[in-house]
Amino acid sequence: MKQTLEIHDLWVNVEGIPILKGVNLTVPRGEVHALMGPNGAGKSTLGKVIAGDPGYEVLRGQILLDGEDIVELEPDERARKGLFLAFQYPVEVPGVTIANFLRLALQARRGEEVALGEFYGKLQRAIETLEWDEAYVTRYLNEGFSGGEKKRNEILQLMVLEPAYAILDETDSGLDIDALKVVAKGVNTMRGPNFGALVITHYQRLLNYIVPDVVHVMMDGRIVKTGGSELALELEERGYDWLKEEVGA
Amino acid sequence: MNETVTSLSLEDLLRGSERRGEPDWLRDARERAWQIFEQLNWPTRKNEAWRYTDLDPTWFALDLEETGPAELRQRDELPRAVRERLAESDAEAALVFANGRLVHAALPQELLEKGVVLGDLHAALRNNADQVKGALYQAVTETGLQGPEDKLAALNAAFWSYGVFLHVPAGVALETPVGVFHYASEGGKLGLSRTLVTLGANVEATLIEEYLSPPLERTHVATGEFLLGPGARLRHAGVQTWGAGVRHFHRQRALLERDAVLNDLAVNLGGSLARTEVASELVGPGADSEMLGVYFAGAGQHLDHYTTQHHVSAQARSDAYYKGAATVNGRVVYQGLIQLEPTAQKTDAYQTNRNLLLSREARAESVPQLEIAANDVRCSHGSSTAPVDEEQLFYLATRGIPRAQAQQLLVAAFLEEVLGRVPLERLRRHVAHVIEARLGG
Repeated sequence: MKQTLEIHDLWVNVEGIPILKGVNLTVPRGEVHALMGPNGAGKSTLGKVIAGDPGYEVLRGQILLDGEDIVELEPDERARKGLFLAFQYPVEVPGVTIANFLRLALQARRGEEVALGEFYGKLQRAIETLEWDEAYVTRYLNEGFSGGEKKRNEILQLMVLEPAYAILDETDSGLDIDALKVVAKGVNTMRGPNFGALVITHYQRLLNYIVPDVVHVMMDGRIVKTGGSELALELEERGYDWLKEEVGA
Repeated sequence: MNETVTSLSLEDLLRGSERRGEPDWLRDARERAWQIFEQLNWPTRKNEAWRYTDLDPTWFALDLEETGPAELRQRDELPRAVRERLAESDAEAALVFANGRLVHAALPQELLEKGVVLGDLHAALRNNADQVKGALYQAVTETGLQGPEDKLAALNAAFWSYGVFLHVPAGVALETPVGVFHYASEGGKLGLSRTLVTLGANVEATLIEEYLSPPLERTHVATGEFLLGPGARLRHAGVQTWGAGVRHFHRQRALLERDAVLNDLAVNLGGSLARTEVASELVGPGADSEMLGVYFAGAGQHLDHYTTQHHVSAQARSDAYYKGAATVNGRVVYQGLIQLEPTAQKTDAYQTNRNLLLSREARAESVPQLEIAANDVRCSHGSSTAPVDEEQLFYLATRGIPRAQAQQLLVAAFLEEVLGRVPLERLRRHVAHVIEARLGG
């Protein structure tokens, strides 16, 4: 079995307007890739399309999860196959506690009952890594959370659900430096041969703490450049304009 | 129009009353009710209160379910559905009626010794004659709750065939709920039940009434009369989980004397059509009526609710909060009335209705109303109807939770605001399970 998340020639419209124009990208398990680019390049759209957001219209292309095309699958089916999207703007769900929801999600992912003891063990370890307060898990999902708490909660879910591939959509936005470090620590504990990640970010800052194996740059709906972690530093220093000229975007 | 589609007649009424050995006053009351029933037309959509619900007179042209002497059985001989509910209930005192007949009665010795009466209303007419005579038809009269005369209330007042009597003497607090189970397994019947609750001063009691059956064609008209003495506290839950095909009509009214507190919960989940009318009359200062409702309508279901908060006394409080959801082509209706008499100064009265729609074909109607004849009051009402939040569904889906289960979660979360106010944990769980089962997954 292939152990990659592959995007092939992906074209996507939003309300009739082309946003993704032939994206090609491969993230193997065991690697963390960064996806950078200016605002409006289509980075977040790509993340949502991979997760299966019904608001987007896929015109053409494939999304291959370990070799299987998941373009036609529902978002929950994709998640059960090992995909995870950490939202840029996590949704508030009043009335549903984190603990209750997360246990259901883990059971859905595994397709079987998960004993309370095992579940709380996992939850406990994740909470410790994220230097969080246990009381949060009895609160309603994201309700009244600050921006930082919401992001921490996304990483908590990531750690408990242990997906094969995670897409982190601007997880750094709205975080102060301490929160950023903690969130990065959570993601770094996930790193290993069975986990691949695509870290979408506008700034290089997060990549000081989650050092990527590969950096892709997206502009105007396409991947225009791919390089090592030094590419992120170069973009931080020089901005995106030189690259625009270079690729003619 | 004076339709007599029903098979009922005055002769039947008088014969039945005599056969059961009822006292003259009751026979006369039944006869009065019969006359009102005969005079009134069936409500149509032209009646404001029935604007969203079609009523078909043939639903009442079924065989009247006659009661008979009690046939008491042990718990393990009861129908399975009832056994399971009893096992899941905290009730130590319980009555079970099957097809209009009392089949199980449990009342702990300790409560007997305190003077608590729980039993068949017919038996109470003999054993507690004065108490019943002074109370029956007080809260719900032969003409209905209040306001316009009500043919269905008259039908029940004339022909009710079985009933419940719960009396708790002054100062007694019941530690566990009283459970009453209305079970039916025979189709083609018209069932008419009446529940009478009288609480002395400073009583504390909880009464849970459940209606359950397999799927069958049947009509049930239930009436509840609650008389709360000064400082009495009653928590009541009416849990309608009839099988598909049943039509359920419920009339309930509580009279609250000084400092009395009612916490009512109406749950409508079953049947094909249900019309639930719940009213409180705040007779004494310091009285407090909380009327909660939760409902869920699935394929082919029509669930209609009407609440009335009638403030007669000054310095009383009332709050109606009904929340429900509908899916497929289910339809839900809520109408509520806050009515303040000129005497009802310093009233606090609130009314809220919220609906959640899970499909495009599901529909909700919501009509809150205020009638205020006093000027120094605090009143508010609000209503809303919204589709289920697709962003929330997507968020839950990206965690692997299938759509049906995500909908269950969101419906449960939506109803939590109401159910969370009810400190009956096992009942809450039951309601959640019934809704989960209805949503599949």
